[in-house]
Amino acid sequence: MSILVGALVGIGVLLILFSCIGAMVMRDPYQRLHYIAPPASIAPFFFAIALFVGESDRAAGWKMFLVFILLNATNGVVTHATARAMRIRSGKPIGDLTAEERA
Amino acid sequence: MNIWFPASIALIVALIPCAVTTLRGSLLDRLAGLELTGVVMAQLFVLLAVGMDRVAFVDLGLAATLLTFGGGLVFARFLERWL
Repeated sequence: MSILVGALVGIGVLLILFSCIGAMVMRDPYQRLHYIAPPASIAPFFFAIALFVGESDRAAGWKMFLVFILLNATNGVVTHATARAMRIRSGKPIGDLTAEERA
Repeated sequence: MNIWFPASIALIVALIPCAVTTLRGSLLDRLAGLELTGVVMAQLFVLLAVGMDRVAFVDLGLAATLLTFGGGLVFARFLERWL
Protein backbone atom coordinates (compact mmCIF):
# COMPACT_ATOMS: atom_id res chain seq x y z
CA MET A 1 0.00 0.00 0.00
CA SER A 2 2.74 2.44 0.90
CA ILE A 3 4.49 1.63 -2.36
CA LEU A 4 1.33 2.51 -4.24
CA VAL A 5 0.97 5.76 -2.30
CA GLY A 6 4.61 6.57 -2.91
CA ALA A 7 4.27 5.88 -6.60
CA LEU A 8 1.18 8.06 -6.93
CA VAL A 9 2.74 10.92 -5.00
CA GLY A 10 5.99 10.52 -6.93
CA ILE A 11 4.20 10.77 -10.25
CA GLY A 12 2.38 13.91 -9.15
CA VAL A 13 5.55 15.53 -7.83
CA LEU A 14 7.59 14.69 -10.92
CA LEU A 15 4.83 16.02 -13.13
CA ILE A 16 4.86 19.33 -11.29
CA LEU A 17 8.67 19.52 -11.24
CA PHE A 18 9.04 18.91 -14.95
CA SER A 19 6.23 21.32 -15.77
CA CYS A 20 7.86 24.08 -13.71
CA ILE A 21 11.23 23.46 -15.38
CA GLY A 22 9.54 23.41 -18.77
CA ALA A 23 7.80 26.71 -18.11
CA MET A 24 11.11 28.24 -17.07
CA VAL A 25 12.91 27.01 -20.20
CA MET A 26 10.31 28.10 -22.75
CA ARG A 27 10.97 31.37 -24.55
CA ASP A 28 7.47 32.35 -25.59
CA PRO A 29 4.73 33.27 -23.09
CA TYR A 30 2.21 31.28 -25.11
CA GLN A 31 4.35 28.19 -24.71
CA ARG A 32 4.75 28.80 -21.00
CA LEU A 33 0.98 28.76 -20.61
CA HIS A 34 0.88 25.18 -21.84
CA TYR A 35 2.99 24.05 -18.91
CA ILE A 36 0.41 25.16 -16.40
CA ALA A 37 -2.01 22.45 -17.52
CA PRO A 38 -0.35 19.28 -16.16
CA PRO A 39 0.13 20.57 -12.60
CA ALA A 40 -3.42 21.89 -12.60
CA SER A 41 -5.25 18.99 -14.15
CA ILE A 42 -3.29 15.76 -13.61
CA ALA A 43 -1.13 16.10 -10.50
CA PRO A 44 -3.94 16.87 -8.02
CA PHE A 45 -5.77 13.76 -9.23
CA PHE A 46 -2.80 11.58 -8.31
CA PHE A 47 -2.50 13.31 -4.95
CA ALA A 48 -6.20 12.79 -4.26
CA ILE A 49 -6.01 9.07 -5.08
CA ALA A 50 -2.90 8.74 -2.89
CA LEU A 51 -4.73 10.44 -0.02
CA PHE A 52 -7.73 8.16 -0.38
CA VAL A 53 -5.51 5.07 -0.46
CA GLY A 54 -2.93 6.05 2.14
CA GLU A 55 -4.75 8.05 4.77
CA SER A 56 -7.38 6.69 7.14
CA ASP A 57 -9.04 10.08 7.44
CA ARG A 58 -10.90 10.58 4.17
CA ALA A 59 -11.49 14.29 4.70
CA ALA A 60 -8.11 15.26 3.25
CA GLY A 61 -8.75 13.06 0.22
CA TRP A 62 -12.11 14.66 -0.44
CA LYS A 63 -10.66 18.14 -0.06
CA MET A 64 -7.81 17.33 -2.42
CA PHE A 65 -10.38 16.00 -4.86
CA LEU A 66 -12.22 19.29 -4.55
CA VAL A 67 -8.95 21.11 -5.27
CA PHE A 68 -8.57 18.89 -8.34
CA ILE A 69 -12.06 19.77 -9.57
CA LEU A 70 -11.58 23.48 -8.93
CA LEU A 71 -8.18 23.60 -10.60
CA ASN A 72 -9.51 21.70 -13.58
CA ALA A 73 -12.51 23.98 -13.89
CA THR A 74 -10.66 27.27 -13.45
CA ASN A 75 -7.35 26.64 -15.15
CA GLY A 76 -8.82 26.65 -18.63
CA VAL A 77 -10.59 29.93 -18.01
CA VAL A 78 -7.50 31.65 -16.60
CA THR A 79 -5.26 30.32 -19.35
CA HIS A 80 -7.67 31.51 -22.01
CA ALA A 81 -7.94 34.95 -20.40
CA THR A 82 -4.17 35.22 -20.17
CA ALA A 83 -3.66 34.17 -23.78
CA ARG A 84 -6.31 36.66 -24.83
CA ALA A 85 -4.51 39.41 -22.91
CA MET A 86 -1.26 38.43 -24.62
CA ARG A 87 -2.94 38.58 -28.01
CA ILE A 88 -4.48 41.99 -27.35
CA ARG A 89 -1.22 43.43 -26.06
CA SER A 90 0.61 42.22 -29.14
CA GLY A 91 -1.79 44.29 -31.26
CA LYS A 92 -2.94 41.34 -33.31
CA PRO A 93 -6.63 40.70 -33.99
CA ILE A 94 -8.50 38.37 -31.69
CA GLY A 95 -10.29 35.45 -33.24
CA ASP A 96 -8.68 35.86 -36.60
CA LEU A 97 -5.27 35.07 -38.00
CA THR A 98 -3.01 37.67 -39.53
CA ALA A 99 -1.68 37.18 -43.04
CA GLU A 100 1.65 36.04 -41.66
CA GLU A 101 0.03 33.48 -39.41
CA ARG A 102 -2.08 32.12 -42.25
CA ALA A 103 0.98 31.51 -44.42
CA MET B 1 8.40 10.72 8.59
CA ASN B 2 5.78 10.05 5.99
CA ILE B 3 5.75 10.42 2.23
CA TRP B 4 4.05 13.79 2.35
CA PHE B 5 6.98 15.70 3.81
CA PRO B 6 9.48 14.77 1.08
CA ALA B 7 6.77 15.49 -1.46
CA SER B 8 6.25 18.92 0.09
CA ILE B 9 9.98 19.60 -0.03
CA ALA B 10 10.03 18.58 -3.69
CA LEU B 11 7.21 21.01 -4.39
CA ILE B 12 9.10 23.75 -2.57
CA VAL B 13 12.05 23.01 -4.85
CA ALA B 14 9.62 23.23 -7.79
CA LEU B 15 8.86 26.78 -6.72
CA ILE B 16 12.39 27.83 -7.68
CA PRO B 17 11.83 27.56 -11.45
CA CYS B 18 8.43 29.18 -10.90
CA ALA B 19 10.18 32.10 -9.18
CA VAL B 20 12.73 32.35 -12.00
CA THR B 21 9.89 32.45 -14.53
CA THR B 22 8.04 35.09 -12.53
CA LEU B 23 11.09 37.31 -12.06
CA ARG B 24 12.35 37.22 -15.64
CA GLY B 25 10.97 38.17 -19.00
CA SER B 26 8.12 40.30 -20.17
CA LEU B 27 5.00 41.11 -18.17
CA LEU B 28 3.08 38.23 -19.72
CA ASP B 29 5.88 35.75 -19.08
CA ARG B 30 5.69 36.79 -15.47
CA LEU B 31 1.94 36.35 -15.38
CA ALA B 32 2.28 32.80 -16.68
CA GLY B 33 4.89 32.17 -13.98
CA LEU B 34 2.61 33.63 -11.34
CA GLU B 35 -0.28 31.42 -12.33
CA LEU B 36 1.92 28.35 -12.29
CA THR B 37 3.20 29.37 -8.86
CA GLY B 38 -0.35 29.65 -7.58
CA VAL B 39 -1.23 26.18 -8.82
CA VAL B 40 1.85 24.66 -7.20
CA MET B 41 1.27 26.55 -3.95
CA ALA B 42 -2.30 25.29 -3.65
CA GLN B 43 -1.14 21.70 -3.80
CA LEU B 44 1.83 22.41 -1.56
CA PHE B 45 -0.51 23.64 1.16
CA VAL B 46 -2.49 20.43 0.99
CA LEU B 47 0.57 18.21 1.14
CA LEU B 48 2.07 20.17 4.03
CA ALA B 49 -1.18 19.98 5.96
CA VAL B 50 -1.40 16.22 5.49
CA GLY B 51 2.29 15.80 6.33
CA MET B 52 1.86 17.66 9.59
CA ASP B 53 -1.33 15.73 10.33
CA ARG B 54 -3.38 18.93 10.41
CA VAL B 55 -6.25 18.09 8.13
CA ALA B 56 -8.02 21.35 8.97
CA PHE B 57 -5.26 23.26 7.18
CA VAL B 58 -6.09 21.54 3.92
CA ASP B 59 -8.64 24.32 3.52
CA LEU B 60 -5.71 26.62 2.80
CA GLY B 61 -5.20 24.74 -0.45
CA LEU B 62 -8.84 25.26 -1.37
CA ALA B 63 -8.59 28.97 -0.62
CA ALA B 64 -5.36 29.26 -2.59
CA THR B 65 -7.01 27.60 -5.58
CA LEU B 66 -9.84 30.10 -5.62
CA LEU B 67 -7.56 33.06 -5.07
CA THR B 68 -5.24 31.94 -7.87
CA PHE B 69 -8.21 31.85 -10.19
CA GLY B 70 -9.43 35.29 -9.22
CA GLY B 71 -5.99 36.85 -9.17
CA GLY B 72 -5.07 35.43 -12.56
CA LEU B 73 -8.20 36.85 -14.11
CA VAL B 74 -7.66 40.27 -12.53
CA PHE B 75 -4.06 40.45 -13.73
CA ALA B 76 -5.02 39.27 -17.22
CA ARG B 77 -7.72 41.90 -17.46
CA PHE B 78 -5.44 44.67 -16.27
CA LEU B 79 -2.65 43.66 -18.60
CA GLU B 80 -5.12 43.56 -21.45
CA ARG B 81 -6.30 47.12 -21.02
CA TRP B 82 -4.47 49.32 -18.62
CA LEU B 83 -0.91 48.26 -17.97
